[in-house]
Amino acid sequence: MMRVDQAMATTEARPATRRAIPPWLVWGGAIGLVQIFAIATVQPLGVSTAYPQFVGFVVDKLVPGFGETQPYLQKIGATIGWQVMLVVGIAIGALLSRLLMGWSNGNATACPLPSFWSGSKTQALAAFVGGFLIIFGARLADGCTSGHMLSGIAQLALSGFLFGAAAFTTGTLTAFLLMKRSSRVQGGER
Amino acid sequence: METTQVLGLITGILFGFALHRAGFSRCGLVMRGLAFRDFTMLKVMLTAIAVGMIGAAVLATFFPDYAHLKIKSLHVWGVLLGGLVFGIGMAIAGYCPGTALVGLGGGVRDGMLAVFGGLLGALAFILVYPVLEPRLIEPLNLGKLTLHEVLGLPYLAVALPMAALLVGIVVWLHRIETKAQATAGQDQC
Repeated sequence: MMRVDQAMATTEARPATRRAIPPWLVWGGAIGLVQIFAIATVQPLGVSTAYPQFVGFVVDKLVPGFGETQPYLQKIGATIGWQVMLVVGIAIGALLSRLLMGWSNGNATACPLPSFWSGSKTQALAAFVGGFLIIFGARLADGCTSGHMLSGIAQLALSGFLFGAAAFTTGTLTAFLLMKRSSRVQGGER
Repeated sequence: METTQVLGLITGILFGFALHRAGFSRCGLVMRGLAFRDFTMLKVMLTAIAVGMIGAAVLATFFPDYAHLKIKSLHVWGVLLGGLVFGIGMAIAGYCPGTALVGLGGGVRDGMLAVFGGLLGALAFILVYPVLEPRLIEPLNLGKLTLHEVLGLPYLAVALPMAALLVGIVVWLHRIETKAQATAGQDQC
């Protein structure tokens, strides 16, 4: 109940401040405050560890002993703790936000797509493959946008700065290449 | 549920709500952000980092009992290569691990698919970890280094100017974008 009330308070405060404060500032600042709450209570925000923890938890139920034989699961713990609950909460928070906006207006805040991927099937495959790469890369680096950037850089950790520089280098290059490709496709030169 | 689990859930709900309202449920914000077509992603991230930076340093300096900081180690090869792979995936999918969940919860198909891909990526990493660990994670691990420790300065003395620098970058990006929009007429987002 408390959660819903907090969420409601956030939306109610919105119309009054909306004209003066742009949304990116409101929600960027809000994420910063959530970070402070997280640090003050348990630990800084971090999302990607929860993926292997959840996978380990599920696979261990299907294949008993999996958690004990895999060194990585021994290291991070294949349990439903703060991090997995955080991840569940993120999905619930997004659902709640969309419901409060009215389901059909739900994507009103989202940006128009740049149509890197012509066709819905290609885009679906891209989402899946990209999803694979972000978690694999994040686990190799021991953190993602939240763990290494929102939290790492915010704590002045050198690992966070290196991760941010590396991720934005390939991210920008890939995005520019795809943007070029999509404009070529749209221009009909292919 | 245990207290930490409840706290995780509450934190996640607030985080997911804010990310959804910031516009991350669909892949466009990240894709356009990485291609420099739209600075919203950068502005949201840098604002959040600046607020967190000040908060973490203030907590650590004045309320150490409430500063549950967690510095990640700088294992150079893993962080570098992992970051490079991560960047490619982020551009292809238009999602990061957190925003994919925002897509999933916000009822966007691609977000759900990115989460599924991520779960498979997690399984793959669990299985290859014994091979990768001695090669990319153990060697050249410089430990949990922070900028203020390396510089030998007090935490706040580095955090506050750094946060000010980030705010400066945000203001600068906002000005560029506003100017570009004024010349190009009303742009999207």
